[in-house]
Amino acid sequence: MPDGTPPNKLVEVYDLKMHFPIYGGVLRRRVGEVKAVDGVSFDIHEGETLGLVGESGCGKSTCGRAVLRLYEVTDGAVKIEGENIADWSAEHLRKVRPKMQMVFQDPQASLNPRMTVASIIGEPLDEHTRQSKKDKLNRVYHLMDAVGLNRDFANRYPHEFSGGQRQRIGIARALALNPRFIVCDEPIAALDVSIQAQVVNLLEDLQEEFGLTYLFISHDLSMVRHIADRVAVMYLGKIVELAPRDALYDSPLHPYTQALLSAVPEPDPSLEARTERIILKGDVPSPANPPKGCNFCTRCPQVMDICRQTEPEYREVAPGHFTACHLQDGQPQQQQQQQATDAGQPAPAQRQEQSQQGEDT
Amino acid sequence: MPDGQLPVLDVRDLKTVFRTRRGEVHAVNSVSFDLKPGELLGVVGESGSGKSVTMMSLIGLLPSPPAEVRDGQVLFGDNDLLKADEDTLRAIRGARIGFVFQDPMTSLNPVFTVGYQLMEPLRKHMGLNKKAARARAQELLELVGIPDAGRRLKDYPHQFSGGMRQRVMIAIALACDPEVLIADEPTTALDVTIQAQILELVKELRQKLGMAIVWITHDLGVIAGIADRVMVMYGGQIVEHAPVKELFGNPQHPYTRALLGTVPAMHGTREARLRVIEGQPPVLDAPPAACPFRARCTHSFERCERENPPRIPVGPLHDAACFWNPATGGPRDA
Repeated sequence: MPDGTPPNKLVEVYDLKMHFPIYGGVLRRRVGEVKAVDGVSFDIHEGETLGLVGESGCGKSTCGRAVLRLYEVTDGAVKIEGENIADWSAEHLRKVRPKMQMVFQDPQASLNPRMTVASIIGEPLDEHTRQSKKDKLNRVYHLMDAVGLNRDFANRYPHEFSGGQRQRIGIARALALNPRFIVCDEPIAALDVSIQAQVVNLLEDLQEEFGLTYLFISHDLSMVRHIADRVAVMYLGKIVELAPRDALYDSPLHPYTQALLSAVPEPDPSLEARTERIILKGDVPSPANPPKGCNFCTRCPQVMDICRQTEPEYREVAPGHFTACHLQDGQPQQQQQQQATDAGQPAPAQRQEQSQQGEDT
Repeated sequence: MPDGQLPVLDVRDLKTVFRTRRGEVHAVNSVSFDLKPGELLGVVGESGSGKSVTMMSLIGLLPSPPAEVRDGQVLFGDNDLLKADEDTLRAIRGARIGFVFQDPMTSLNPVFTVGYQLMEPLRKHMGLNKKAARARAQELLELVGIPDAGRRLKDYPHQFSGGMRQRVMIAIALACDPEVLIADEPTTALDVTIQAQILELVKELRQKLGMAIVWITHDLGVIAGIADRVMVMYGGQIVEHAPVKELFGNPQHPYTRALLGTVPAMHGTREARLRVIEGQPPVLDAPPAACPFRARCTHSFERCERENPPRIPVGPLHDAACFWNPATGGPRDA
């Protein structure tokens, strides 16, 4: 995406909440809720790829599914091309479904083993269009060409294909109705390294060819750096940081983003020896019982008193760079960050200092 | 790594075949390697490359049928493990050779407490009584960094998080002070921040305990950080083998070179397009008569179709099973 052009917002998500009830006790009463997604806001511009990263259980997949209204959302607004679909009925939603599609993680589980490839790819056409059989088959062939599947395989079954090819079938199905927006939920996580690159290149080619907009959900930070224009980092149901790709990877502001990025092993032994990792202590708290104050306060290496009391506000701290962290509240922290940004990538030593100062404050 | 030391484990010419209804699958083809005391040998490869099957073959963990270890020698101390009887193997497995598997949930028994599962090898292999075993179990949980170890012994596996379960698995594997630890994708099911914790733990434990480790993974980043030596496997064979810095700095086999190219970088320039390895991994339905990588290789020539390249020495402690020479861009003299 060329910078400078006024971006057209295709998807707008405002304060989206997705809580799942927990029933318990003798009477199976509602005793609590899992706050899988707890108030996230973001926009996706037309033609861009927004990466959504985070660890398992942080709510990134739930968020993707809630945006497509595969759930009854608890609260918040989801606007697709300006229309708020958050409280639409299933009937009403059916009309906008063709616009928004999904590619799932596990191509084995998301393809019906008893249907041929042609019928899998053609099913959305059966559901949403009234094309003749011949037109449908032509469309299926066309889609198979687009995703690099041999037309001769149209009558085969999913088990006859490898993982990478199955993912191509899933992508062809998602493309069948000319969608504008596709949620890719960990589309490469189940694939081998050499096949991942093939699928990612295909997704990029298709984006260019059909002008698609992606929400790319992944835990693979290096792949997200490759494919995304902007990146949102989730932790325990909330977005902790959202920024343009280079800003996020080169100067992450939130301590969680910093730890997450530093934890990625580099395929380079000399670099690996120099990297000072930020090792987080402990595990992610339960989303049924998130800590008071900042969600990350139980593991944050720079935690302050205020973090355990008040939840930090999610706000724009630099143009296009959003974060929710008390370190960004006051003047001193911002200056400190300024120094780090000036020096480019904050050096490990600086990080150490920061963390100590953070503890002192 | 000091050279000339006697290896703790010496594998020669290992061949493993699976018999299926559709014919044979030649999963491991003439794999030879050794493991020196105290070193960490990384094994890299994609699914189906034979890396797990190789290690499972060593200690008779593959169900037979369908698996059949057809040929080879596995020298461990005075024993050839492939010829050893089940009793000898049982005394070695879990005691002198420890294991950590990918998925800690399926490799722990959900109906026994973690303490029970930790004490089992201690009592069976080391003959400790209940009290001594419990004390040792608590010590082990502390060693792998599980807080409040004494109380957690009474907990069941589902009461632990993924990272903690993997720590329990490591504790079980270390219970009897093994000489060799085989870790099969031990961090693949974990999140990156938890993976970083486990990698840090393993580095620490190596210094403390000094056992030799075989670490199987598909993640080149993980290998770069912890291995001393690396073997790259493809199509049931070792295609390249070198010390870790040499392998990443001077890869010789086209597969290794391509694999390194497919991983997008976390720093520095971002390539507009990912480099790919076209095609699919080979079907291993017959003993290899040609290079397994030839169909996907951008440098293959006529000889690759005719012969399966042997492991050719290409530098100090460095060999590659390839007829192509990246330095000259032409065939290698061999």
